[in-house]
Amino acid sequence: MTEAASVADHVATLREELDALDRAYSSGHHGLWSAARRAEMLDTALISMSEAIEPPPGVGLAALGGYGRRQQLPLSDVDLLVVHDGSRPDEVADIIERLLYPLWDAGFEVGHAMRTPAECELIAHERLDALTSMLDLRRLAGDGELVRTAADRVLGVATADVRGFARALREDAETRGERYGVSAYLLEPDLKSGAGALRDVHAVRWMTAAAGPAVVRTAEREALDAAEEFFTRVRSALQLETRRRTDRLPLELQPAIARAMGFIDEPGLIAEDGLMRAMFEHARSTQWIAQNVLARAEAGVSMPTDPPVPFRDIDEALETLAAASEAGMRPEAQTLDSIEATPVPEPIEWTAGTLQSFMRMLRAGEAGVHALDAMDRLGLLVRLLPAWGAVRCRPQRDPYHRFTVDTHLTMALAEMSHLIRGDRSDDDLVAGAVERVTDRDGLLLGALLHDIGKIGEGGHVPIGAQVADRTLAHMGVTGSSRDLASFMVAEHLLLPDTATRRDLTDENLILDVAARIGSPERLAALTVLARADAIATGPSAWTAWRRTLLAELVGRVQRVYDRGDMGEELAHQLTTRIEAVRAALAREPDDAVERFVLRMPRGYFLSTEPDRIARHHPVIAPEVGSAEVRTAASPGEREGTYELLVVAADRPGLLSSIAGAVAVTGLSILTAQAFTTDDGVAVDVFEVEGVFEREVGEERWRELRGVLRKEIEGRLSLAHRVAEKRAQYPAPRSSAPVTVGVDNDDSDYATVIEVGAADRIGLLFDIASVLAELMLDVQLAKVATYADRVIDVFYVRDALGRKVTDPDQVAEIEAAIRARLDEPDRH
Amino acid sequence: MTAIVKPHRVDEVKEALRDLGVNGLTTTDVEGFGRQRGHTEVYRGAEYQVDFVPKVKLEVLVPDDEAQGVVDAIVKAARTGKIGDGKLWVTEAEQVIRIRTGEMGPDAV
Repeated sequence: MTEAASVADHVATLREELDALDRAYSSGHHGLWSAARRAEMLDTALISMSEAIEPPPGVGLAALGGYGRRQQLPLSDVDLLVVHDGSRPDEVADIIERLLYPLWDAGFEVGHAMRTPAECELIAHERLDALTSMLDLRRLAGDGELVRTAADRVLGVATADVRGFARALREDAETRGERYGVSAYLLEPDLKSGAGALRDVHAVRWMTAAAGPAVVRTAEREALDAAEEFFTRVRSALQLETRRRTDRLPLELQPAIARAMGFIDEPGLIAEDGLMRAMFEHARSTQWIAQNVLARAEAGVSMPTDPPVPFRDIDEALETLAAASEAGMRPEAQTLDSIEATPVPEPIEWTAGTLQSFMRMLRAGEAGVHALDAMDRLGLLVRLLPAWGAVRCRPQRDPYHRFTVDTHLTMALAEMSHLIRGDRSDDDLVAGAVERVTDRDGLLLGALLHDIGKIGEGGHVPIGAQVADRTLAHMGVTGSSRDLASFMVAEHLLLPDTATRRDLTDENLILDVAARIGSPERLAALTVLARADAIATGPSAWTAWRRTLLAELVGRVQRVYDRGDMGEELAHQLTTRIEAVRAALAREPDDAVERFVLRMPRGYFLSTEPDRIARHHPVIAPEVGSAEVRTAASPGEREGTYELLVVAADRPGLLSSIAGAVAVTGLSILTAQAFTTDDGVAVDVFEVEGVFEREVGEERWRELRGVLRKEIEGRLSLAHRVAEKRAQYPAPRSSAPVTVGVDNDDSDYATVIEVGAADRIGLLFDIASVLAELMLDVQLAKVATYADRVIDVFYVRDALGRKVTDPDQVAEIEAAIRARLDEPDRH
Repeated sequence: MTAIVKPHRVDEVKEALRDLGVNGLTTTDVEGFGRQRGHTEVYRGAEYQVDFVPKVKLEVLVPDDEAQGVVDAIVKAARTGKIGDGKLWVTEAEQVIRIRTGEMGPDAV
């Protein structure tokens, strides 16, 4: 057989064997064993090929990098180094061609270099990646002595300055973390180069090669071995599934890879979440161990000679961490080693000292988060907060979140501490809100726990509220901090969800939000949390778009408090009233009652007794036809007075029609309240009495209905009839002056017109007709009679539903009402 | 067709389109002004001008013969009757290609 034929034969055999290996197991079961087997196959083929080529003396063939470590993944490059003595460079180049061309032709990705031992040393000095890949140098064939010399000289570069080598590895790890992200919490992690991924495992291995095994503890070694096996399996599966040399694990492949690796759906944890949680746990401990090993090596700490001194108890350890946080420092490597040597009970019982140290960390911003991270890696955090276990390393699958639940929580905490310290003064909405919250510890705890209910089952908000209550009690947090934090957890979605999904011009909605929140301080706390939560979610969660909507909602709710339209007392009263209405309507279908509660204005519930509401319900609830006017009369609270309820589809002029018909029928309006439901039905409640006779019988109500019907049909002029009626009665005795005020600050939704005048027949009709003439829609009206003086308040909007802000139009309203009430012939 | 609607109407529009069997819809958070202009917000006594009002832009591709039905559905679902309900405009798509398969024309819609 010719040399070429023999080489080609070896390559073909190699390809067959590799393919057979790939097929032999499911894609999720190619771990380190498989990788080593692949390297072995390559070794056999390359050694045989090398024998066929018969290289001259002074030339050695070696494996580099992953192949050198016997970690050959399905699609890994085959990295080779030809070490030569420099005497016959042309001949060496020829050998390389004869060896590599058949491999290239067969589709192998082969990387190669050709160096003398001196060149190896030189380039190891210059480039960290060359140095580390040559630390894994392994002879395959040819001159063994020469390869050994090269390997020794390369290792000499690392051992000559162990601390410098440690620093270079640390800096490289930091650069990788920035470029490829952190594999310990990113939902699409990089399996090779991300912080906490395989390269960190390798970095520890290289560090050990240079500094000796004492730099790594046994437990750390075991954790890294387990992580390496796991990462190798995932990375091999990714390559086999995609047939591409890719290292980023995308969301869409996670289900297939999880199943291939044997993960199954469990209660509260679907298979792909199980995969990712394992991934994050390994990456987190890898990143942590690598950081500590490199820090120890850089500091020149040697494990056997400097054994860690344990702390007296866990409280002393926490106090040390708290002090480091307050000094703005990361915990030192020795402190961490000491904590690991300290016996920890499980679970930890909180003392006043525990809580104090913990709160000091929460208040310390980023440095405090480093302390929490340290406690997490040391297994302390879960023993302090058992609920933390369920969110630890838990992936989140929605388009906004980029981090695991627990990382999201600590990031929200960090952002909250920035906000509290005033580092975000550019945002006046949030900066102003921070000022309004006196209980800062409550804010920090609320941020830390807001998503603690994300445990993979049920609604995370109600579950979170329960878990947070238990956790705060366990910690020994009491008083206002506990109340505020619990409230924040229970309501953390209220503002963002309402702002982006609901109609902010709906007054009922704003009042309900105000009632649910209860106080300006709590509103401010939710505002600050909304920002901290969004910032900790990802870059797209806090945009000008969202901020504008949030600011509008917060502003509207705040103004409700400022005006006194809602406060703790009113909120309580409203809730109680609505509960009582529900109870009184218990026999009606639930959804009908719900609909009724939603569409009726909040002012209606606050001003009407539940038993009256129950009486109104059958009149109001059925759908109202466009030309229909429903009336219902019943005896009033005072003797001789009657309650008149009128329900009709709202239209401009409706109030004046009703008021006119009431006057024409010979009834006097003592009080009136006109409401509009959110689906455009007018609900007007009048307290009336007969002008002459005390008793008002059914005949009179029939007459009223007749007048209303005729008016709607255009068969009767109310203006004329009211004037006629007025002529039959004596003019009012009082000459109280007419006052008209227009106010745009009283309500966000309507212009408020207040009219004071002497009582007389048809007064409400007169005013309401002016408003109708000016095309103003009355949303709400309140009429009250004080002896012979009447105060009427109208909440009006223009035809497009806006307030009346044009000064000319405001002046016109005032003038028109005055003119109508001053007309002498109407006295 | 492209529509600019109030954020809180998006779910209604989505429902209405689903009822019509329209399954694709692209939404973008946008800010702008029309006749509604901006408005002044007062927060804790500090006034600031909101020049651009947050809206959602919807984009949907439909065959010619379904266009009118979809227009009607969007307008109905997005309407509140108050100022700032937005706008909808219909343009002709010269060419439509489904990227995955390379299908063109009505098949790609």
